Amino acid sequence: MVSSALTIQDILPFRANNKKVDMDAFLPFIVLPFLLLIATISRTITIIIMVVIGMGVLYVYTRPRQKNRSPFFFSWTMSSAVTMFLVFEIIILGLLEVTQLENFIFLLLLACTCYFFYKMKAIADFELATGSSKGKEYSPVLTSDSYYCQVCQIEVNERFFHSIWWDCCVLRPNYVYFLAGQICAFATLLFGTNLGLTTVCQPFIFYGLILLPEDCNDAYYEFDLSLGFVTCVYGVGYLFVIALVLIRQLLIYLPKYSEPQWRKLVNVLNV
Amino acid sequence: MRCSYRKKIIYGVITILIFIIFSHPGLYGRSSYEFIEKHNILKYLHEEVNVNLTSNAFTNCDYHDIINDETTLSPNLIEGDLVEGHGIRDGGEYIPQDCRPKFSTAIIVPYRDRAEQLRGFLVYMHTFFRRQRIHYRIFIIEQVDSRPFNRAKLLNIGAAAAINAGFPCIVLHDVDLLPLRPSNLYACTKQPRHMSSSINKFRFVLPYLTLFGGVISIRTSQYKMVNGMSNEYFGWGAEDDDLYSRLRACNFKICRFGPEISQYHMFSHKLQRKGKLRSDLLSFARKRMAADGLSSLHYLEVATVLHPLFTHIMVDL
Repeated sequence: MVSSALTIQDILPFRANNKKVDMDAFLPFIVLPFLLLIATISRTITIIIMVVIGMGVLYVYTRPRQKNRSPFFFSWTMSSAVTMFLVFEIIILGLLEVTQLENFIFLLLLACTCYFFYKMKAIADFELATGSSKGKEYSPVLTSDSYYCQVCQIEVNERFFHSIWWDCCVLRPNYVYFLAGQICAFATLLFGTNLGLTTVCQPFIFYGLILLPEDCNDAYYEFDLSLGFVTCVYGVGYLFVIALVLIRQLLIYLPKYSEPQWRKLVNVLNV
Repeated sequence: MRCSYRKKIIYGVITILIFIIFSHPGLYGRSSYEFIEKHNILKYLHEEVNVNLTSNAFTNCDYHDIINDETTLSPNLIEGDLVEGHGIRDGGEYIPQDCRPKFSTAIIVPYRDRAEQLRGFLVYMHTFFRRQRIHYRIFIIEQVDSRPFNRAKLLNIGAAAAINAGFPCIVLHDVDLLPLRPSNLYACTKQPRHMSSSINKFRFVLPYLTLFGGVISIRTSQYKMVNGMSNEYFGWGAEDDDLYSRLRACNFKICRFGPEISQYHMFSHKLQRKGKLRSDLLSFARKRMAADGLSSLHYLEVATVLHPLFTHIMVDL
């Protein structure tokens, strides 16, 4: 297991010391805040940093990920969440432009997100501990639907994929939690970045209903404003990624997942 | 099993702690606050006009329809021009002709280096005041020296000029703020009033309850009583909090109109250099009250010019 594990050193083009496995988990908590701090210097540097992060993600996706069990990516997710949370609660709220109700809604959404992803991880860990993962509908005849996850080294039935960003398999028992977590994360990020950007930037009222950011030209004049702004931009990037994930689920996995239920319904109607 | 139980307790405690910390009221802006209800506004207003005002009109002006005016002006008015025959006298003074006004207000605007913004501000404000049927005059106080901007001292100079001109009520106004609602009557209430409590830049939220900056209205008698503002705040910040503590020391209670009425538009601009001494000065605000203010106002008046739309007072601090 350990010998087959792929660390960040293997992903990177140059080969570094293989003993730094623990560094993988630790690195994102330094790299990400550092990148965001650098990005506060000017608009150009923000764009460069965001493009670099985006290209890094694309690069990771082009690498073979069958045996990729490095904790780096899960740590990256966690450090993103922690950084964005702290910046929101300390910098954005420090500007005294967010009301208590808005922060309460934000925390509530965040709590939902944390709960769903925690459940997802817990179920995946449980499956991993108990060995095989054969759902209730598992049938030895339909072998085309069962897969073997090389990362987690367990056999899972249909509709599975391995998420390196959560460092676990998403399979039938925790798929619902995965989906709910993504939706909640989307809502949390949308709400949080809107609050942050309307605080940092000049807002306008859209159709007399909601406040949207309009003019962010004076975001770089002060450090706390620029840090809030850069973090919000990063959050918007994350939002974009989650939107892609959700669209993918909507188009591929959701029809597949709900197909048996549909078939049952149709059968009932036929009878 | 026991281990997971303990884990859950730890998670629960952390969650509760986070909720307790973040439910602290001092961390948030307020979308609602104590304010004077719309139907009570006229009762709370202080009716007094400039001693030098002569009006030939027979009837008194009525302000009920202004208070109940639901329109919201667009900040894009700054790009336009004033209509012809607006009846504004030299020095930016206007007296309604069809009725006798009940309120005289001096608008005092500290200013430096923002010519384009000032032009927009004047056009907008005169358009705005056309709807309010009040007697008003706009004073622009410009700092011509190169020291850090001293907003409070400029306001003191303007207030002194307004007192000399006989105005019973002054509005201390920032040049980057535009009132959006004509129902926000530019007249003094019996207590000092914070007028800009709902600014778009602040997400239409009041950052903290004791905020008393941006646009405020105060009767000149009260302004004299607190000895005006402090003259020592060079650079940005804290001079409005200083004024607030002066008002508290004299037992004045500030008031506001509702957030709907008090909407303002703020231009985005580069933030100014912050004053270095502001927190030290603020901690002794009450002690310096008697010695520092209108009574100790020394400056060099470079020129006073009556422009068609405003009275321009240029000073060297």
